[in-house]
Amino acid sequence: MDQVVTAGIVEDHPVVIEGITSWISADPEHRIQVVLVAHDLMALEPVTGPVADVLILDLELNGQLVTERLPRLVAAGNRVVAFSAHSGPGLVREVLDSGAYAYVAKDEGRDYLVEAVLAAAADRPCVTRSQAKAFLGDDGPERPSLSNQERQALLLWFQGMSKASVGRRMSITENTVRQYIDRARMKYAALGRPALSKDALLARAIEDGIITPREVATYTSRASHPA
Amino acid sequence: MRAGPVPAAPASAGPSPAGPSASGPSSRVHPSAVLSARYGQSFDIAVIVVVAGWHVAGAGSELLPFRALYRSFPAQFALWLVIALAITAGAVRLLRGWSRPAWSYALAAVALAVTIAGAAGCPAGQLLRTDWAWGTAGWVGVLVLLRRPVGELAGFLLLNGLGTFAVLAHDGLHRSDVAGFITILAETTAIQLVVAVAARQMGATAREAAEVTQSEAAARAGELIAERLRAARQARWLALQETAGPLLRELADGSADPADPEVRRACAVEAARLRRLMAESDDAPGPLVHELHACADVAGRRGVAVDIEAVGALPSVPADVRRVITDTAIAILTTAVSQVRVTLTALPEGIAVSLVADSPVPPPSAAAPGVVIEHDRDRCNLWVEARWTR
Repeated sequence: MDQVVTAGIVEDHPVVIEGITSWISADPEHRIQVVLVAHDLMALEPVTGPVADVLILDLELNGQLVTERLPRLVAAGNRVVAFSAHSGPGLVREVLDSGAYAYVAKDEGRDYLVEAVLAAAADRPCVTRSQAKAFLGDDGPERPSLSNQERQALLLWFQGMSKASVGRRMSITENTVRQYIDRARMKYAALGRPALSKDALLARAIEDGIITPREVATYTSRASHPA
Repeated sequence: MRAGPVPAAPASAGPSPAGPSASGPSSRVHPSAVLSARYGQSFDIAVIVVVAGWHVAGAGSELLPFRALYRSFPAQFALWLVIALAITAGAVRLLRGWSRPAWSYALAAVALAVTIAGAAGCPAGQLLRTDWAWGTAGWVGVLVLLRRPVGELAGFLLLNGLGTFAVLAHDGLHRSDVAGFITILAETTAIQLVVAVAARQMGATAREAAEVTQSEAAARAGELIAERLRAARQARWLALQETAGPLLRELADGSADPADPEVRRACAVEAARLRRLMAESDDAPGPLVHELHACADVAGRRGVAVDIEAVGALPSVPADVRRVITDTAIAILTTAVSQVRVTLTALPEGIAVSLVADSPVPPPSAAAPGVVIEHDRDRCNLWVEARWTR
């Protein structure tokens, strides 16, 4: 990535803001620049357009979950990376369905927040372990059907292995592991409520060869006409 | 040997030998209650048979031979039918368990009215010979007041006798009439009261028998639970003897040096096992997660960050399988340097429990039916997965 990615942070705890900015400034290539810090969503009103390339949003501001504000932020063109102390699979799936690019639980922040912001800026997925957990634990009637390989890659990734180790165990390359995991993520992006961000993710995934346009159509039709 | 598997506790494990009755005697109708109800019902049927039998055979055998003597035989027969209906109604109420006192009193009142009307229809001077209604009305009282206090029946029988006596007096009394009346009163009332009292006595006996059976069952269940707890304690004690005991002895006689990292590790393993043994007897939902938390406690005390995550609806895992899984976990938790991630994932065919840790040693080999344990290493991280297929 040649250009610097701009990021906004919406977070009510000063300590957490410091943590996020320290992770961002610890990036040896300084790929991210924080251009906005807000303690609540009021600072962003009226929501007319994106405030930065990527918005890092704490889902719980001043003791209240702000998940229902997500669709509007997404519709205004924000690329949202959700950052939360919660990691319940239901909440994670709901937030992704509302159009967040990635879900990073607070204890995963150090490892994945920078990666998730950079991926979102490029309209690419970043599947954290809490997302893998949310996909594995999905037993809803409209869940996408994951292939055995996708499921196994997600499982080993959730268990805590590095992607290289997952590849070694599954006798595939690390790249293929990434592809399996991203494909699972794309199956979720193709389902549920429509969102600009999901379209962008899917378009980029097709461009990157993770999925084919035909597959997107298959997932979507499965979603709209569940068996 | 210290790191080896501990023999499974047979008592806290395994299927319950007592079956459902030990797990929840209150969750279903106790057999003794059924027994009591059946016993009570057969006695009710016996009473109905006696009353109906008396009405057909006893009252009928008086009504028909004297049919020419009554003032109006059709009227007497109509009264006989009224009693037959009252008996039918009383029998249905008794068998259905309907017990509204108002209906009992109404049927008793009908019987009293029939007694008086029947007596009034008898030829003058021959009442005691030809009257069929008095006796059978008394039996109706026994039937409809079976669920009421005995005093009510006694009162009814008294009124029933007085009603007959009033008609007798109205016709003009003779001394022989009084003597005959008293004889009949004594006989019929005595028999009817005896039957009613016996019914109550039998019901009470059945209830008592049911209660005794029930308390015996409760005592047996209590003994069984106590026996299982005792066996669980015994198993814990045996496990302690096998591993922690020698270690404590070595520490006490100085042959094990607390400064030796190997001895410290062995101590940590034993501490984790003791915690697990305690956790095993806790009746917590999701015992495997509960036991893993207990094992993780020891690692936490050493300053190792332990993260436990569970996903999906976890199946219930048999105790011997849990032992093998937790033993593997203990081996890793006690050797991890700084962090361990423990995950439990529900699979369609069972469960996958994995640990990823910066532990330098491979896990011990352990086995249980249906369990496959695999491990792998990338650089400093050890990955171990125990997969149980039910």
